[in-house]
Amino acid sequence: MDDIISLESVSKVYHQGKIDVQALTDLTLKIRTGDFAAVSGPSGSGKTTLLNLVGALDVPTSGKILLEGRDLYELGRTELSRIRRDRIGFVFQAYNLIPVLTAYENAEFVLAIQGKPAEFRKKEVMAMLEEVGLKGLEDRRPDELSGGQQQRVAVARAIVTRPAVVLADEPTANLDSASADSLLNIMENLNLKMGITFLFSTHDQRVLERARRIIRLRDGKMVSDEISEKNA
Amino acid sequence: MLIKMAWRNLWRRKRRTLISSLTVAIGLWVAISMLGISDYSFVNMVNTSASMGFGHVTVEPTGYMNNPGFNKRIKAGRDVTVRILAEPGVTAAVPKIIGPGMIGTASKTVGGVIMGVDPARERPKDNVFFRAIVEGRVFSQPGANEVVIGRRMAERLNLKIGKKLVYTVTDINGDIVSDMARVCAIFKTGDDSVDGGTILLPINKLRATLHFGPEDATLVSVLLADQREAEATSKNLRVKIGAPGVDVRWWSETQPEIAGAITMDRAFHQLYQSVVWLLVATGILDTMLMSVLERKREMGLMMAVGGSPTSLFLLVLTESLLTALTGLVIAILINSPWYFFMTHHGIDLTSMVPEGYGVSGVVVDPVIKMTLFKESVVRILVTFLSLAIIAGLYPAYKASRVPPVESMKAI
Repeated sequence: MDDIISLESVSKVYHQGKIDVQALTDLTLKIRTGDFAAVSGPSGSGKTTLLNLVGALDVPTSGKILLEGRDLYELGRTELSRIRRDRIGFVFQAYNLIPVLTAYENAEFVLAIQGKPAEFRKKEVMAMLEEVGLKGLEDRRPDELSGGQQQRVAVARAIVTRPAVVLADEPTANLDSASADSLLNIMENLNLKMGITFLFSTHDQRVLERARRIIRLRDGKMVSDEISEKNA
Repeated sequence: MLIKMAWRNLWRRKRRTLISSLTVAIGLWVAISMLGISDYSFVNMVNTSASMGFGHVTVEPTGYMNNPGFNKRIKAGRDVTVRILAEPGVTAAVPKIIGPGMIGTASKTVGGVIMGVDPARERPKDNVFFRAIVEGRVFSQPGANEVVIGRRMAERLNLKIGKKLVYTVTDINGDIVSDMARVCAIFKTGDDSVDGGTILLPINKLRATLHFGPEDATLVSVLLADQREAEATSKNLRVKIGAPGVDVRWWSETQPEIAGAITMDRAFHQLYQSVVWLLVATGILDTMLMSVLERKREMGLMMAVGGSPTSLFLLVLTESLLTALTGLVIAILINSPWYFFMTHHGIDLTSMVPEGYGVSGVVVDPVIKMTLFKESVVRILVTFLSLAIIAGLYPAYKASRVPPVESMKAI
């Protein structure tokens, strides 16, 4: 498999007042196309920082991050937002839907800013909402949906553009067991069916059980990178 | 989608949006009222001044306006007035004789302006003195031996309807000549200097006294449907009927005191309006800035999923414009009945304004009304929408600079 994401000696330091916090230290890592990988570790281990850097939301203090062979941090603001729009899908812990848009419109949002025609958007979004089990709930606003349903809308929004990679930051943290299982089924299915790469940050055992690769971090350093036996 | 989102965002906080839209609407109402009232009073002043004798445009002998007298005259026959009337927008072209003279009775004499007018061609709506007649009736023929005088002059000379007065003028040959006329009507404009110093005679009678020819006049008073066309009409007439010894001037040139007063008043109005616009812009800026700060996290999310800084900039700018447009709709709802009332009835300030209050001999109407010209409406709309955009620029810029990670930490 090809490497879709490549981190070369990446470090990230946050400056909090006079204190420097080392979030990641000299991390080298490759994520391959089609991976269903989880980054695990205790709070403060650098999981979210890693996802933010890979997602072009933040800049490393040193090192290089390549997405599909392109060095992210040689790109300008506009080019980075284009990369996020076209090549990366995001699923956040707190669902993060746009409150004034319906489920359909939230899923449609990225396609709309891509400038895709309305007919195309409708076809893709309806198919994707059906895929994540939200058929019939298209017209509901986020506050009319349960947590699990909102997270499924977020997944639909992340997937509908057929991105190279979906970055999911603690996607099941706010969900009950049934919703979490259902969501993981959907994501696993999308990974297998469409070949979309998933990279989770999590310490949820349910996610770790499903992941085919587990990268463990501690204090900003990688302590292990294991391929799950069931998928080995 | 941008407009849909902007519109829905606007109504997330209904009360705030309504309050800021209402502020915008009140600002617009004040601006429209100020402009409408000032436009009405200027138009009224110019039209009143025009109907006092010189018209919106005056065709006159060269040098007449610097020293109005009966020694200067032009031929103002039917052919001339027909050519003037052919000019678009001209509603009347009336020859007149205007100059200084003495008016007296057996016991007293006063100086004043003597005006020869043609009763057949002067419509009351174009002649302020005919409109202001409070006693008697206008002379019946252009050659009648009758005179219309002001109330103040009647008091000063102890004249009544049917009584005789003697007027003395310098004729075409430079000789001092006198004639007698019987008072047929008394007018009251409210301005003491006008009511005490003006008499109107039938034009043919005055021509005979002055030894003028049958087509001679000291000027042709040209009245227009719209006084704003006066300058352009005067230019066109200069080309059409201009000749050596004949000048064509518009009201700003013949009545510079009024033009000056209007310019000054307009400048003050613009200053007041700027303050109103500043308040409106501050209201929009405040609302939009608050809205951006509250939605920082949401904007961070939009950036994270691929929204460009430009799309966020445009979103906030659209919200600013929609706030303004909502205010505009409210303003239209408020202004429509107000405008109807102010154009048809107005506010009567007679009890607050001294009688006969005027500018340069032109009585100011104590009833305040409104007139809105198309260009004034366009100017208000352009200024207003430009301000709405300008007021939205800073909040839109702030939105476009939202850093995704920091903003989303608030989750």
